[in-house]
Amino acid sequence: MFEFFNSPEVINIIVIIGSMLLFFVGLFGLLTQKHIIKIFMSIAIMETAVYLFFIGSLFKLDAIAPIMKVADDTSKFNDPIPHAMILTAIVIAMAVFALGVSFAIEYYKLSGKTNIDTMNEMRH
Amino acid sequence: MSSVLFVALPLLFGFSTPILGYFGKNAVAYVSTLMQLFLLYLGFDLLLNEGFSIELISIAPPLGISFVVTKVSLLFVLLFTSVMTLFSLYYLSYRSEKPYRDESKFFILINMLLAASIGLVLSSDIFNIYVFFEIAGISAYILSAYEKSSSALEAGIKYLITGAVASIFLIFAIVLIYIYIGSLNLGIIAQHFELLPFQIKLLISILLLIGFGFKVEIFPLNFWVSDVYQGSSTLVNALFSAIVVKAYLFVFFHLLYLFLPHGEFSLFLIYLGAFSMLAAEVAGLRQSHLKRLFAYSSLGQVALVFTAFALQNTQAIQAALFIVLAHSVAKMGIFFALALIEKEHESMESETLKSLNSPFLRVILLISMLSLLGIPLFAGFVGKLLVLKSLALEGMLPIIMMIILASLIEAVYYFKLAGYMFTSDKRRDVLKVTWAHKTILAFLSLLLLIIGMAPFLLSEYLFEASKLMLGGVS
Amino acid sequence: MSIKRSLSTLTLSGFTLSALLILSFINILLQNVATNIERAGDGLLKLNSSEGVANVVTTVVVYFRGFDTLGEIAVLFIASLGVGLMLERNTECTIKVQSNFMLQSASKLLFPIIIIFGLYVMIYGHLSPGGGFQGGVLVASAVLLLLISNKDLEVPHAVISALETLAGVSYVLIGLMGLLLSDVFLFNFLSPNIADFGLLLSGGIIPIVYIIVGIKVGSEMGFIVQNLLKRSDDV
Repeated sequence: MFEFFNSPEVINIIVIIGSMLLFFVGLFGLLTQKHIIKIFMSIAIMETAVYLFFIGSLFKLDAIAPIMKVADDTSKFNDPIPHAMILTAIVIAMAVFALGVSFAIEYYKLSGKTNIDTMNEMRH
Repeated sequence: MSSVLFVALPLLFGFSTPILGYFGKNAVAYVSTLMQLFLLYLGFDLLLNEGFSIELISIAPPLGISFVVTKVSLLFVLLFTSVMTLFSLYYLSYRSEKPYRDESKFFILINMLLAASIGLVLSSDIFNIYVFFEIAGISAYILSAYEKSSSALEAGIKYLITGAVASIFLIFAIVLIYIYIGSLNLGIIAQHFELLPFQIKLLISILLLIGFGFKVEIFPLNFWVSDVYQGSSTLVNALFSAIVVKAYLFVFFHLLYLFLPHGEFSLFLIYLGAFSMLAAEVAGLRQSHLKRLFAYSSLGQVALVFTAFALQNTQAIQAALFIVLAHSVAKMGIFFALALIEKEHESMESETLKSLNSPFLRVILLISMLSLLGIPLFAGFVGKLLVLKSLALEGMLPIIMMIILASLIEAVYYFKLAGYMFTSDKRRDVLKVTWAHKTILAFLSLLLLIIGMAPFLLSEYLFEASKLMLGGVS
Repeated sequence: MSIKRSLSTLTLSGFTLSALLILSFINILLQNVATNIERAGDGLLKLNSSEGVANVVTTVVVYFRGFDTLGEIAVLFIASLGVGLMLERNTECTIKVQSNFMLQSASKLLFPIIIIFGLYVMIYGHLSPGGGFQGGVLVASAVLLLLISNKDLEVPHAVISALETLAGVSYVLIGLMGLLLSDVFLFNFLSPNIADFGLLLSGGIIPIVYIIVGIKVGSEMGFIVQNLLKRSDDV
């Protein structure tokens, strides 16, 4: 009964709806949360959603991982570019969040604040 | 010579600073400045010899990444390199009195910023643009939080959050482009973009607009700018307004001209730009903190450039390039002078100018402000006049009214500052300006006067550059 | 606490806004399914057998799009520099709780295994799934395990800094060497021999660069982990 899920169209629909729901979770968090770390987490969730969407949409059911021998027929492999791009993007996102967390730690140490609504030292 | 050196050398410098550290305390500073001078030489060399070249990296485009050097990208490269060189020269004599802590890291960051801005302008691969977008972003976040005071950190956090959100939208757009077009090369995307289904085209355009909108400081995505400028240190602000935002502006409109050559969103963007300008100047009117005030003035100028670029015709682009040059030079002069004032008076309220006792700095500030305002004989005038002229040719009277109104509001607060500087009499002791600082500041002001009085020196080059930019060589 | 909680306007408006946005995204994406398009990846797959190594993702990451990877290394480098700048320590290490016996002995057992696995993933990255990033992160995780199990341990800063400098500089120098030898930045100047395809020593500069990337990622991540773990504050 689960063959139904094996058709590319159904998988595409699942990927789109699933990743966009995840994006929704992140966006909702970004718009409503006030704690700095929670905002970083929301942004990270949104990014993950985009990565999932990308990998999922270009995933071919009948194709295999692109590790080839010399004279292989190239049409049986999955597209390598999404993997390479997402590898790059993940590392970049991780670097930015590590930096963000260190900013937040240092800011908390200096001012004792974690809520972005109270971050208004400069607006008198 | 190869244009990849513009990115490779700063990266090499950044990675090798621990080695340079062994050669004494000043080695890093001098090597950094020498490298920037070399890059400046390289830029002029490319300008004189070729003017157009495609530089491969690893493999040939469209599958690989390539750097495209045209007259217009060279213009921006030269602008960034010379701004950074002047910044380094200025800082070299500034650091003896008030250096940043952990100086070698500071030099790494400014060079990475330079490399990333140049990479943004030269690259012809959209994912590569995303990588440079992030390098420029991350070094700007650290530069803005560099002083580690609570206001600097607050600025850094705000900058980082907006930057991270912007990068999500950008990567989403790139993902959609790869899924629906199947290439990352700008030229190929430009060929196929029009054939996309309308909804996808709209979605990608909106995502790109949001992603770059944060970075090109356009209303309503510019709420963070004033805080970042106020929290960051004054010298760094010169880089933010002379390099970072200019690089993003160029990339945004480069992509726009490539993807939508017929100006589908033109009218919307023009109104957006004009409204941003008006909003920024109105908000600037009630600021008393100097850095915050000039942040709003930057927003206004950037919005004017945005409007001119959005008109999408040669004359308007030429005007925009004029304003870009004039604004970079003027803002550098202003922030360099403010840095000296801040060091002496330890306050950045606009009342500080009342007690400023240095005729030289007062004249420099006045010239820069007059140029920003667009008074005849100063550099800002030519650009503003050309923008208004091309708007008039298009018959957009409401936009012209908005820009003139915004300029009038701008005039109010500049003249308020000028009044503070020239009418008060309770002054402090004379503020000593070293000869090195005097030379650089005088050079910047002279540049403003030269461009203002003899715009024909540049106009031919800028006209060709604007034709190339609109023609969309990728 | 009462069951009936009032929803704030912020939550409601945030929910509505994001829901509308996402619904329109889903709508647009479902209505326009990408049909069979010739993508750049197919071209790269065809190019791979003559210019690349067995793992095509590695070829793409290190060679075909190697410039992105250089940029990515730069981002990681700047981030670890920033973390170091923010959390630099003036006082001694401050983990106050000594870890328990199980963690201590398990970490002694696991540390060499994780390190060897990390090195394996790094060195065989051009033949099997894995590579410099994955291997580097594995090595950094082994360092993290040591750091949390032993509160007095500290990875010497000089070692990390030396490794990171060496890796970063040699990456750019390899790129510049390509520029010097054949006018193309990051060119594979040790031209790969097709007969060696699939062997450990194959692919010219690709495995070398990926090992360099692994060292760089490992040292940067180790640095970030150590800085985040052992701060001077304890707030």
